[in-house]
Amino acid sequence: MKLIFEYEEQATNHVPDVVDDKHQGEEEDIVVGLPRDVIRKELPLPNVSEINVVRHYTNISRLNFGVDLGFYPLGSCTMKYNPKINEDVARLDGFKDLHPLSNESCIQGSLQVMWELEQDLKKITGMDAFSLQPAAGAQGELLGVMITKAYYKQKNEKRTKIMIPDSSHGTNPATATMCKFETITIPSNSRGNIDIYKFKESLKDDVALVMLTNPNTLGLFEEKILEISDLAHTNGTLMYCDGANMNALLGITRPSDQGFDMIHLNLHKSFSTPHGGGGPGAGTLGVKSFLSDYLPLPRVVVQHNNNFALDYTKRKSVGMVRYCYGNFGMLVRAYCYIKSWGKNIRSVSENAILNANYLLSLLKDDYELPYNRRCAHEFVLSSKKFGEKSALNIAKRLLDYGFHPPTIYFPLIVREALMIEPTETESKETLDRFASALKSIANEIKENPDIVKGSPYTKSVGRLDEVAAARKPNLRWTVPSQSDGKKNSIKDASSKKNSVSNSNSSNNQ
Amino acid sequence: MDYIPITENDREEMLKQIGARSINDLIMDLKPPLNEKLNLTEPMSELELVEHMRNLSQKNMIMKYFIGAGSYNHYIPSAVNHLLMRGEFLTGYTPYQAEMSQGTLHAMYEFQSFICLLTGMDVSNASMYEGSSALAEAVLLSSSYKGRNCIFVKDGLNPQYFEVLKTYCEGADLRLVNEIDENTACVIAQNPDFYGNIENLQYISEQAHKAGALFIVCVVEPTSLAILEPPGNYGADIVVGEGQSFGIPVNFGGPYLGFIGVKDFLLKKIPGRICGMTTDSKGNKGFVLTFQAREQHIRRERATSNITTNVALMALASTIYLALMGRSGLINVAKLSYTRAHLLHDKLENTGFKALNKKPFYNEFIMKAPVGSCKKILSNLLKNGILGGLDLGEDKILICCTEMNKVQDIESFVSVIKET
Repeated sequence: MKLIFEYEEQATNHVPDVVDDKHQGEEEDIVVGLPRDVIRKELPLPNVSEINVVRHYTNISRLNFGVDLGFYPLGSCTMKYNPKINEDVARLDGFKDLHPLSNESCIQGSLQVMWELEQDLKKITGMDAFSLQPAAGAQGELLGVMITKAYYKQKNEKRTKIMIPDSSHGTNPATATMCKFETITIPSNSRGNIDIYKFKESLKDDVALVMLTNPNTLGLFEEKILEISDLAHTNGTLMYCDGANMNALLGITRPSDQGFDMIHLNLHKSFSTPHGGGGPGAGTLGVKSFLSDYLPLPRVVVQHNNNFALDYTKRKSVGMVRYCYGNFGMLVRAYCYIKSWGKNIRSVSENAILNANYLLSLLKDDYELPYNRRCAHEFVLSSKKFGEKSALNIAKRLLDYGFHPPTIYFPLIVREALMIEPTETESKETLDRFASALKSIANEIKENPDIVKGSPYTKSVGRLDEVAAARKPNLRWTVPSQSDGKKNSIKDASSKKNSVSNSNSSNNQ
Repeated sequence: MDYIPITENDREEMLKQIGARSINDLIMDLKPPLNEKLNLTEPMSELELVEHMRNLSQKNMIMKYFIGAGSYNHYIPSAVNHLLMRGEFLTGYTPYQAEMSQGTLHAMYEFQSFICLLTGMDVSNASMYEGSSALAEAVLLSSSYKGRNCIFVKDGLNPQYFEVLKTYCEGADLRLVNEIDENTACVIAQNPDFYGNIENLQYISEQAHKAGALFIVCVVEPTSLAILEPPGNYGADIVVGEGQSFGIPVNFGGPYLGFIGVKDFLLKKIPGRICGMTTDSKGNKGFVLTFQAREQHIRRERATSNITTNVALMALASTIYLALMGRSGLINVAKLSYTRAHLLHDKLENTGFKALNKKPFYNEFIMKAPVGSCKKILSNLLKNGILGGLDLGEDKILICCTEMNKVQDIESFVSVIKET
C-alpha cells in the first residue's frame, strides 16, 4: 500500500475557491495583507482526488481487525460489541453540531444527557458525584490522584506515598509519578490477591492512597477487600478503584460498598463506546460526598424550574483537566447503552463472567492456570511450559486462525501470560472455536514448533521487525528532495490553476 | 434491548462444563452483594431509544456560529464520516498486534507525517486527548527534560487552556511565573493567540533559548497553519495543540484531537504512542508501534506520561480530512476564514464597534461594542439564530468566522446590530 502522499496530483474541491466569493479584491490581497514574515512559503501537502482517497482508506481499513470482524479477547480492554444505533445517535445534528460555548438555553438537551448519565453512574457504583470531564481512564486516574493531593494539602497532612499491587496496570504508578508521589509496590499472594501481611507492613502514616483494580488484572476479586479498606481508612488513607474491570460488577456489587472512595470508569470498556483503534474514550471519575467539592468545574446542576445549568461555584475544585466538559460524543453513546439495558444491566456482568469461566474451563488443561480459582470477567493463563517467547508465538499464530490474540505478557507477575477477556457479547460457538484454536496451537508447538514460531502467514505482512523500527526510526513521510517546490506554493492554491481540469500542469509524477 | 447471544440451552451446557450449578455459584466471590436490582429505568428498545434521543437532541439549539474560542465550525467532507464508520477502524483497539492492525498503523504514520509537515517539527506522536491537556503534557515533558520547574506563559493563551495548565502544574509541583530566567523550563506562546492575533514569535523563541528553556508554540485553530509560517521555522522546540478544525464536529466540546510534535532531540521524551515503518522477514514494508519503552505499560512509574487511550479515531478523521481537502482545499479554507472574518470586522467597525486587535489577525478578532450594548446585541443576534461571539465582559466580544459563515449571514449579523 502506498502512502497518501504518493498519489498523482489531482484535487477535488469541497469548499468554494476564494475567487468564487463576492468580495474578490480582498482575497487577492490575503497573502500580502499579512506581513511577509508570518506567511508560509509553501505547504507540502498532497492534492488527491476523492475517489483515490476513499479507495486508499477503504483498502487500508481491510488490513485491520475489529470487534465487527471477529473475536477480540484482549484482556483488560473489554472489547465487547459496540451497538450501531449509538453511533447514529451521537451523530444527530443536535448533538454533534452543538458549540460548547453556546448559551445555557441552547444546550438543555446535552446537559440533560450529562446529568442523567451522572445519576446512573452514581447508582451503578454507589458513589455520590461524578465528573464526566476526563478523556480516558488514565486521565480519570490523574484527576483522582490530583484530588488526593489537594485533599491532604487542605488537611495539612504530609502524605507522599501511594500503594499499588504488583498486578496493577502500568497507568497507576505512572500517574502517581506525574503528581510527584512515590510508589510502594505490594506483592501478590498465592491466591493472586494482595498479600495482606505485606500490605499492613507498608501502610504507614505517609501513605496517601491505595490504588486497586477490582477484580484485579488476573480477573480475580480481592477476597479481603473489606479488611483492606478498613485498614486504609483507619490509617487515614484514601481508597482508589481503577474501574477498568467494572464489566464484572454491574448490578452485582458496588465499589462504594467495597470501601472505595473514588473510582474511574472507562466508558469505552464497560459501557460499550467503540475503541476506535485507540480512542477516544471517556474516563469519568466518581467520588464519595466528602470529595465531591474537589471535582473539576463546571458541574451540571438542576435548577428549581427543572432547567439544567452549569455551576462554576468554586469550592475546593482542583481545576479543569481538559477543555470544556468531557468527550461528550462518548458520553452520549454510554448513556444510550445504559438506557438500553436499564435495570437489567446485571445481565451484562453475569454473562461476561459465565463466558470467561466457560472458556477457562475449556483451556485450563492445555495451558497453565497460575491461580487455581474461578475467575470474574477475565482470566490469565501461562504458556511457560512451552518455553520462552511462547506467549508471543501463540499470539501471532492466533492471527492465522482469524482471532485477535489475548493481551500478552501482562500482568507482569505471570510468566508468558495470556490475558483473556471474552466479554458477554460472544456466543458459545465463538468461544468453542477459540478454545479449539488454542488447543490446536498447543499441539502444533509440540509437533511442529517452527510453524508457530514463523507465524503469521495469512496477513498482509509477516512478523514485523520491532527492533529495526526502534534502531532506524522512520516515523514520518518527508518531501522528496527532487520535488518541484513551486507546486507547493501557497499563492497558487486558490486560483483555478489547481482545479481538477488543470491538474496535469502541476502533476509531478 | 440486549446484546447477548447466549441462549438458555447454552447457559446450562456452559455451567455444566464449568462445574457450577448456577450463575450465582460464579459470582459468590464478588462481595458485598447487592441484594436488589439497580434503580435504573426500564430497558429501552432501539425504537424507543432513538425517539428518546432525538427528543433530547432537539432540546439543543443549533445556531449560526460566529464563535470559536477553541471549537471551530468548519465544513467536513461527507467521505470522512463514511470512512470512519467502517467497523475495521471503529471497533479495533490500539494496534499492539501490528500484523493484524496495519490499517490503523498506516493511518497513524500518515497522521504523524501531516502534523510534521504542518508544524515544521521532526516527530509527532499518534495523538493526545485534546489541545489543553496536550499543552500540559508538553509542559511536563519540558520540565522533565530540563530539570527545571518554572513555566512562563505569554499573554493570549486560551483561558481554558490556562486553567488546565494550572491544574496540571499544581499536581506536578510546577510554578507559573512572570519572568524568563535560568529556572524556566519552557516558554509557551499561542499563535494565533486567543484574540486571533498573529505574530512572528522569533523574538520570544530567542528569549527562551537564551535562558536555556524550551520554546512551545500552541496552535488552537490549526487551519491557520495552511497559510502561516510553520512554528518550526521560528524556533519552536515543541508544537502542540488542537486538531478539531480538521474534520471533527464541534461535538459540545469533545471528543477532539490533541497533537504534539517535537524536534528530534526530544523524541525519547515525547508522551504517548508513536508509529514507525519497518519490514517483515521477507522485506515487506509494514508499520509497528515503536519506542514503547517510554510508555506506562513497560516503564510504569518511570514512564514519560500515563497516557494510554488517546484519540486514534479522531486522528484518523483528521488524516482523511487533510487528504480530501488537500493542499488547495486547506488553503481555501484558511483564506475563506480569513476573508470572512476581515469582512465582518470591517463592517462592524463601520457600525460603531471599536477594533481592539493591535496586530494582524487570522479568523478571530476582539471588538468593543458601544458602551452597555453588548448583552443586548448578543441576545438580539441569538433571537435571529446567530451566536454572535464570546462575551468577554466590559462590552468586549470575541468573534470568529470560518468558511461556514456565508457573506449573507455576515450581512444579517450586521443588520441585526444596526437595528439594535
